Amino acid sequence: MTTAIATKGLTKDYGSGHGIFDLDLTVAEGEVFGYLGPNGAGKTTTIKLLMGLIHATRGSATILGLDADRDAVALKHKIGYVPGELPLFGGWRGSEIVAYIAGLRGDLTDSKVETVAKRLDLDLGRKYREYSHGNKQKLALLLAFAPQPALLILDEPTSGLDPLHQQEFYGLVRDARGHGATIFISSHVLSEVEHVCDRVGIVRDGHLATVGQLDQLAGMRAHRVEIVFAGAPPIDRIRAIPGFEQLAVEDHRVSGMFRGDFEPLLAALASSRVTKFESREPSLEEIFLGFYK
Amino acid sequence: MTGLVVAAGGLINAVGFAQIAGDNPAARAVFAQQMELLARQLTYLLPAPAELDTMAGYLTWRWFGSAVLIYAFWALLAGTGAGRGDEERGLIELWLSTGASRLRLTAARVAGFAVVAAVSIAFMLAVTDVGAAIGREPLPLGPLAFEGVAMWVLTLFVFAFALVVAQLVTTRRSATGIAGVVVLGLFMLNAAARSGVDVGALRWVSPFYLFERSTPLLQGGSLDAPATAALALGAFVLVVIAVGAFVRRDIGGPLFRIASGKTRVEWRPAGDPLLRMPVLAIVDQQRVWTVAWALGLAVLAGFLTSTTKVMVDALGNSNIPMLRAYFERAGINVYADFVGVIWFSTLLLLVSLFVVVQVNGWAADDAEGRLEMILSAPVSRGRVVVERIAAVVVACAVVVAASSLAVYLTATSTGISLAGGRFVFASAAVLPVAYAFAGVGHAFVGWRPRLAVVVLGALAVVGYFAQQFTPLFAWPDWVNDVSLYALYGTPMSKDDWGGIATLIAIGTVGTAIALFVMRRRDVGR
Repeated sequence: MTTAIATKGLTKDYGSGHGIFDLDLTVAEGEVFGYLGPNGAGKTTTIKLLMGLIHATRGSATILGLDADRDAVALKHKIGYVPGELPLFGGWRGSEIVAYIAGLRGDLTDSKVETVAKRLDLDLGRKYREYSHGNKQKLALLLAFAPQPALLILDEPTSGLDPLHQQEFYGLVRDARGHGATIFISSHVLSEVEHVCDRVGIVRDGHLATVGQLDQLAGMRAHRVEIVFAGAPPIDRIRAIPGFEQLAVEDHRVSGMFRGDFEPLLAALASSRVTKFESREPSLEEIFLGFYK
Repeated sequence: MTGLVVAAGGLINAVGFAQIAGDNPAARAVFAQQMELLARQLTYLLPAPAELDTMAGYLTWRWFGSAVLIYAFWALLAGTGAGRGDEERGLIELWLSTGASRLRLTAARVAGFAVVAAVSIAFMLAVTDVGAAIGREPLPLGPLAFEGVAMWVLTLFVFAFALVVAQLVTTRRSATGIAGVVVLGLFMLNAAARSGVDVGALRWVSPFYLFERSTPLLQGGSLDAPATAALALGAFVLVVIAVGAFVRRDIGGPLFRIASGKTRVEWRPAGDPLLRMPVLAIVDQQRVWTVAWALGLAVLAGFLTSTTKVMVDALGNSNIPMLRAYFERAGINVYADFVGVIWFSTLLLLVSLFVVVQVNGWAADDAEGRLEMILSAPVSRGRVVVERIAAVVVACAVVVAASSLAVYLTATSTGISLAGGRFVFASAAVLPVAYAFAGVGHAFVGWRPRLAVVVLGALAVVGYFAQQFTPLFAWPDWVNDVSLYALYGTPMSKDDWGGIATLIAIGTVGTAIALFVMRRRDVGR
């Protein structure tokens, strides 16, 4: 499989621990990759490095075989981009902004624009300052998707979109993947990653914490366990079981995240009367939170 | 900042009077006579002259009449900023979400401006009085304070008016435009009456007339209490209207909403072909702004040219040695020279300020995310720099062409003969100055964006004054030479290709530095 994005020791050090450090990451062509992390984790810094907007302190990033920094201009012909913070275009009409960017890109035809604008239900005749936040986001999505680029780099792309248009966004992502595009999505909205991504990387405090397939991440659990006892819970015995974390006790109910073999847990419960035992796979949300504990 | 600039103006005018007017009654009388002649031609700009042989009379006419316009302009910008600018930036929404009432918010802004304006005016008057004291003719403190009160009340009136206008529209730019036109209209109404046009009782509508009724620094003059009270009452009523409108309207919306007639949805990019062309796309985006500058400068050019004969006759043939010497040093012998020296020096300053505004826009492009969006297209950073500088030179060419055409037509209609070739050359030679400013400006934008406007503005203003004051006060030539404008030379009388080449070299070096810095820097930081 060909590599679309490869970073090696990619670092941007803003000082005081801010930035992104020693990022080694590979995204295959045609893959939809989710880049997860809370605010300030380093997602946008990574994306700006990939876009050649900021320069790395050390390390390198290669995109579609080209250097992200040195070959930034040539690369932009192949990239569609949604920035994390929407620009201020003041009194321009949406149609004027699109015409201006179309002039800069050279590969944005009127018919492509019309198709995406209709899908997103975005009236380009209105002034940018009159757009709601959601409509501004739609315009950014239109500018990224309409050229049908080989790679889409999207920084929190569903910010401000209503659920209906979030679905339309997922449709755009699926269609782009259908055309063979690679998609790199940064987000802290886990549901959108669950909707569209093949693999996920989790970044924390400027460091990549883990990368894996969605089902692999779910396999790293960690089951969510809830036990209801007829009498007082045998707390001491439960606490002694290795792998039982985030323990919460409420009357006769004990809950927590359980990682590992179930046998010691069941053995510990054998002498107690259990009225309810529930174990389920944690949601990505719970896995995500687990990385930040 | 406004306070500092205006205070410097007061100091210069006071010291300048002491230098020019002479130090004996006979010289003063001659000076006053010459100034009176000039002042009669400038009644649509400055107040009617009186007691021009005294420091108080001269400053009342020449300086306070100008300073009040600067304060009015400042108040206009502050009023629309408070009424709409903060809202555009989302600050009003934030403040209101903290539980502050709209009444309290407006009252705080008005009170804050009133205090700042009072401090600024008091500072300006104090510095002006220091200048008068240096000229050994200090102004009496009581009447000076009354002058300040009259100016302060007028400033508050304009602020309150701008605040009301800001409630009626949705953008600060619209509010500034509309309020500016109305305030200018009120100023012109009073100016017309001053110039002998019969406007009847309508003159009382103009706040500038109410201000000018107070002449506390003149012999027998005083603060016109009814006029000042009327202005204060007017300001209060306007603030009440502004508060009422602010309470009633939606945040982000105008007081009166007109239903949009637009029914057709647009799905396609705009058809304007200029938006897709290098350089012209940037010029096209700023077409309204550029046309406004071109028209404004054309009007000013026409006005200044129309006063050429009067000014040259009044000042050039003056019996005042210093003025005669100034005309000689500045090389003003005939009307055409006056156009060359006075108009083109003014044009250089104004074109430089036009460039400074563009430089400010380049810094904002980065801060407001537009540069990031542009660079997400296959566009090199170098192209961004070159296109911006080329676009500003093209826009300056439009502005210069419009104003030069106005000068030429006015000169021809008033019987002043301008050598066509030289005049075209002198006009075209303004563009290397614009290029030099743009190059230096972009070098700063890449390095220290926030410093760029301050440095470039200082370069323009200091350069202008150095050029103006060197012949007036017989300063050494090197003072004039520190000005970038010195390189422009006097193309109406002789060629100075060396100066023009140097300007182009400065612009090119600035552009080269800008290219280097732009490549190295992080975008959006």
